[in-house]
Amino acid sequence: MNEKPDIRVLLIDDEETLVEYLSKRLLREGFMVKATFSGEEAVEVAAGEAFDVAVVDLKMPGIDGVETQEKLKKIQPFLQSIVLTGHGAVDTALESGRQDAFKYLLKPIEYDNLVDTIKAAYKKKVELQQAKFQQEVDEIYRAGMGARGIKKAMNKLRKIYGIE
Amino acid sequence: MESNDVPNSRSETTSEVIARLERECSRARRHLATVLENSSDMVFATDADGILVSFNRGGERAIGYSSEQVMGRPARDLAADPSEFERLEALSRTEGRATHQEYPFRHKDGHIVRFDLSLIAITDSDGRFAGTSSVCRDTAPMKKFHDDLIRVDRLAEIGRTASGIAHEINNPVAVIGEISGWIEAVVGDAKGMAREDREELETAVQHIVKQVKRCRGITRQLLAYARDSEPAQTSLDVHELLRETVSFLNPELRHKDIEAVFDFMEGSLLLQSDKQMLEQIFVNLISNAIHAVKEKGEAGGRVVLKTSRDGSTVQIRVSDNGTGISEENQKRMYDLFFTTKPAGKGTGLGLPICRDIIGKLGGEFSFETQVGEGTTFIVRLPTG
Repeated sequence: MNEKPDIRVLLIDDEETLVEYLSKRLLREGFMVKATFSGEEAVEVAAGEAFDVAVVDLKMPGIDGVETQEKLKKIQPFLQSIVLTGHGAVDTALESGRQDAFKYLLKPIEYDNLVDTIKAAYKKKVELQQAKFQQEVDEIYRAGMGARGIKKAMNKLRKIYGIE
Repeated sequence: MESNDVPNSRSETTSEVIARLERECSRARRHLATVLENSSDMVFATDADGILVSFNRGGERAIGYSSEQVMGRPARDLAADPSEFERLEALSRTEGRATHQEYPFRHKDGHIVRFDLSLIAITDSDGRFAGTSSVCRDTAPMKKFHDDLIRVDRLAEIGRTASGIAHEINNPVAVIGEISGWIEAVVGDAKGMAREDREELETAVQHIVKQVKRCRGITRQLLAYARDSEPAQTSLDVHELLRETVSFLNPELRHKDIEAVFDFMEGSLLLQSDKQMLEQIFVNLISNAIHAVKEKGEAGGRVVLKTSRDGSTVQIRVSDNGTGISEENQKRMYDLFFTTKPAGKGTGLGLPICRDIIGKLGGEFSFETQVGEGTTFIVRLPTG
């Protein structure tokens, strides 16, 4: 598991026991996991800490899964969300698909499937981020700034996109 | 009116008048007789002594006697309770009419048939009682309709309740699944544990995981049943889908030593329909066929998939040479949770789901079965 990059996962579900055991399993698997128990809490946490993938339950008291992942997206544009949903809620889940969720998974989730989906979501996140980064860099070169300007701009970019 | 019946300007002779009136009279009688004969109600009349003087074909169909067999006999003999019929006759005599809901008559075969009975007194031109006329409407179709309504309503209610419960149970089941996964991990990592203890724990956890999967299967099927979404409309080849389904179920077929036979019409069988829904129908029907063959426990088990096309209708027949379905089970086969499979093997949702889906797809679902010989389920679907 060592060759795997550290994937930062934000778990959001009001079912506390589920979150507890799911985080333990994911941690053991080598993911970096932050557990939260409501959409509000997740948004608060995401304001101060960067994540790659969010796993969010659709049905929660307070702000629901769809709204939570919209808010997260505003804070961290490249963050990929996996929405967990019951069957009857597929329509809402599809709506969340329109809102750019990476995927929705039927509850109760199959653990191995979730792990695979998290990895795939991470891959997409990195690709998007790299592409955007490259695009911005190209922009800077095209603009023809001086060496100092470029360096400054690059630093800013690194900070924004979390690439060291 | 025909022209020869119209009195012309020349004055008629008395015999001509009589002849004309007779013709009119007989025509009216024929007309009435035709109406009576073709009525699906049982209609009969008696003379003043209660003896049958007419009995229509509706009556013949309803209680099995031909008009020849009952004419000249007392009408009360047709009733399950003759003295009660006499009371109604007497009542109609004094009141002009008598009615009785769900009145029991006795069929030629001996069983009871119930009718909404309306008895009317007939009087002659002098106002004297001349007999009765009875109109009897079979209440069975109405009653069946009523029962069906109640049944459908009850099914819908069960469906709603069950899907609500399935939703609620989903979460705890998910938690159990995660905890067992965690136990598995902890046991896997544990050091200094005796081998047999470790194996014991691993097996136990695997059993929990299996049961969690089983719960998940049930809740998913239930929720799919209760789901009200519109079917998708994609272009698909039924033959391809059937082949895919059989290959999906192939391990099962091979394990039970059952031969799958494709008896397809030539070429592909294209359809505009919902692939997932059709897949579910095929999986359910073929699984049932496999089970029926296995139950019978004889060698040479076969499941035949036959397709044909008739105009704008596609027909898919799934036949097996298994146990067949007893009459008793036929009555219950669409009841939710009714299953003949052993505990843990069937959910009792397969056939109700098939029927539900086929209805949504605008098709028809039927079956032919013979105990000990096998069963064929027939799915008819519109092509477009």
